[in-house]
Amino acid sequence: MQCPICGRKVDEQGYCKLHAKVRHLIIKRYDGWRKAMNISWKEYLSEIAKNPLTGEWAREVARHLIETED
Amino acid sequence: MGKYTLIITEKPDAARRIASALDVSQKARRMEENGVPYYVAMRDKEIVIVPALGHLYTVSAGAKGRGTYPVFNFEWVPRFQAERGAEHIRTWLQVISRLSKNADSFIDACDYDVEGSIIGYCILKYACNDKEKVSRRMKYSTLTKEELEKSYAESLPHLDFALIEAGRARHEIDWLYGINLSRALTFAAKNWSGKYSTLSTGRVQGPLLKFLVSREKSIRSFVPTPYWQIKAQVKINGQTCIAEFAKRRIETRTEAEAVSNACKGSGQIEKVEVVRFQQSAPVPFDLGALQVEAYSLFRYDPKKTLGIAQRLYLDALISYPRTSSQKLPPAINYRSILKNLSSVGDYTRLAADLLGKPVLKPHEGGREDPAHPAIYPTGNLPERLLNKPERNIWDLVVRRFMAVFGEPAIRQSVKASVKVDGYLFYVKGKRTLEQGWQRFYEPYVRAEETLLPLVKEGLVVDFKKIIVESRFTEPRPRYNPSSLLQKMEEVGIGTKATRADTIQTLYERKYVRNERITVTDLGFEVLELLKNYCEKVVSVEMTKELENRINGICQAQEKREDVLAGAIEILEPVLKEIRQKEGEIGERLSNAVARTRLEESIIGPCPICKTGKLVTIRSKKTGKRFVGCTNYFRGLCNASFVLPQKGTIKVNGRNCRGCGWPTVQVRTGGKRAWVLCFNPDCPLKEGKRDTGIAMSYMRQKGR
Repeated sequence: MQCPICGRKVDEQGYCKLHAKVRHLIIKRYDGWRKAMNISWKEYLSEIAKNPLTGEWAREVARHLIETED
Repeated sequence: MGKYTLIITEKPDAARRIASALDVSQKARRMEENGVPYYVAMRDKEIVIVPALGHLYTVSAGAKGRGTYPVFNFEWVPRFQAERGAEHIRTWLQVISRLSKNADSFIDACDYDVEGSIIGYCILKYACNDKEKVSRRMKYSTLTKEELEKSYAESLPHLDFALIEAGRARHEIDWLYGINLSRALTFAAKNWSGKYSTLSTGRVQGPLLKFLVSREKSIRSFVPTPYWQIKAQVKINGQTCIAEFAKRRIETRTEAEAVSNACKGSGQIEKVEVVRFQQSAPVPFDLGALQVEAYSLFRYDPKKTLGIAQRLYLDALISYPRTSSQKLPPAINYRSILKNLSSVGDYTRLAADLLGKPVLKPHEGGREDPAHPAIYPTGNLPERLLNKPERNIWDLVVRRFMAVFGEPAIRQSVKASVKVDGYLFYVKGKRTLEQGWQRFYEPYVRAEETLLPLVKEGLVVDFKKIIVESRFTEPRPRYNPSSLLQKMEEVGIGTKATRADTIQTLYERKYVRNERITVTDLGFEVLELLKNYCEKVVSVEMTKELENRINGICQAQEKREDVLAGAIEILEPVLKEIRQKEGEIGERLSNAVARTRLEESIIGPCPICKTGKLVTIRSKKTGKRFVGCTNYFRGLCNASFVLPQKGTIKVNGRNCRGCGWPTVQVRTGGKRAWVLCFNPDCPLKEGKRDTGIAMSYMRQKGR
């Protein structure tokens, strides 16, 4: 199986090792954002997807999560 | 000519200086043989001074070791035997060899460091027929007449063989690592794809790439977190100042809004803290510090700074730059240097002030270098017109030299605590009370000056405006050539002479790009592979351990042969494993090379289809280059634009200021680069279209 973002070999949770690690980090950071701005998971994802300080890989995962999550 | 003393120098400029300094009438005769210059000087006896051209010998594989790996047999050979384009070295060595035949004594006058010692040793051993054993050694740190005369008169009785052994070991180990690992990577990629591209790694290059990849990963994975900062515009004694909320980082919007809503009207100064503190003079420049300062002030990369410093040294304007010392011994004669510098208008008053001091004592740093002092101006004045970068570096060295003798600067910081509606704010100021050393280092001093009005406890402060700034945490900054050099110094990898070159190699191999260093796909892949198959090779600890063992040779604690055997012991199994998995490694590397090439050719997003990317393409049919959209191959976009067929095209990552389309930079011949916008309807091309330039090129100076 290939990582849906970069095409590398899937390692865990449907992503390659790199993107899986970043996904984990995105989930971890949500708590801080929720407390700070009182926003939903979806709003959080779109906020970090458009933030210029967000790393390239984190942005890719955020966009992928926005597209694939209900 | 009868029998003479033959002096070997590292560079032609050094030969000229030494010849002129040693000749009694300062008029040494310049001779030339087959394009090789040398000088004849008269002193106590006839002296012939012949220069090298840096390294004339290098480590190379024996005949059997060409184009294969692993290769552990090597020998020192003339460079023309090992490198393309080094044919002139043959003539050079012939001339030195011929001159050595009539010499009855020999002096190695190459720079007194590891590299210089090896250069002199190889020439004396191989070109002069084993004269390394009888040669004397000149040791100097500047090319001034006085120091050269002294170092000739007091030349050391023999070469520094421990230093030479250590230097040879470093060269040989670096060669073993470089040649074997680089060939392993290059061959793996070539055997898989059939296409050649140079891939390399080395004992220092690998760990260096590891730092960069680690930083790049943290930047690319970074998820910012919001926070807020509150500032207030306040009026104190009729003067407007900025007050900062005591809590520098507010983590929730609710709290930030609560503070902002509460702080209105006026507050009162509760406490004023005034602190006077001293700022010591800077320490003299070692090479690393000079490179860092030149980058920060003039944006010269470390390699450029070293090149400039080397030229200034050869002009006898500054001392030997490849030093790690932060000490200035009194023997260099501070007063005489200052006296000479005082004849330059800009330095007259400053030098006079220092000369007026009863005692001159430099503020020194802790680092020492057994071979050379810190970098200092010799006191000589330029004999030719220096170009701007040379002037800048010379001025920087001169002013730093003067500054180290200055008194500490006295600074004052003021912090007023202001309470408003139960919330605490600070108004801060900083100023210089006594300039001290800063006066000597004037244009290069970076000291924050924020003047406050007179503040005292109980004073009423008007809060005019509350500013709530929404902020985000930021990723760690990218390395630039200067901060990377600092990192290398900090962890102790590479040498002062080679660090800048190693950084440059990463750029040349396309492992990194941009001034704020970004790792390419290829850089990632190479490091990933090295980590998977030979973790030890990219380990900083291993590099440092080897470095320590090499230094141990200098102190006679280690033998060169043992250190080499240890290095081969590490390499052998690694190369075996790479060989076994060559197919897999080759595929990953080839794909990374292809991705990096594509990445390099991307100009920007396609303005026509909005989803593809504009790339430079070369037509297989006509051989002409043009710009096309990546979506063309999927049948989604037909966008294509012509490119000039002559000159170099560089992706500049900028958009046209007229229409916002991506642009490229074109440089033809020696002409000034210009920017090309592909948009035929670009408003900036109005008027040019009428003259028939359909796909015109805009000259947009300074964009």
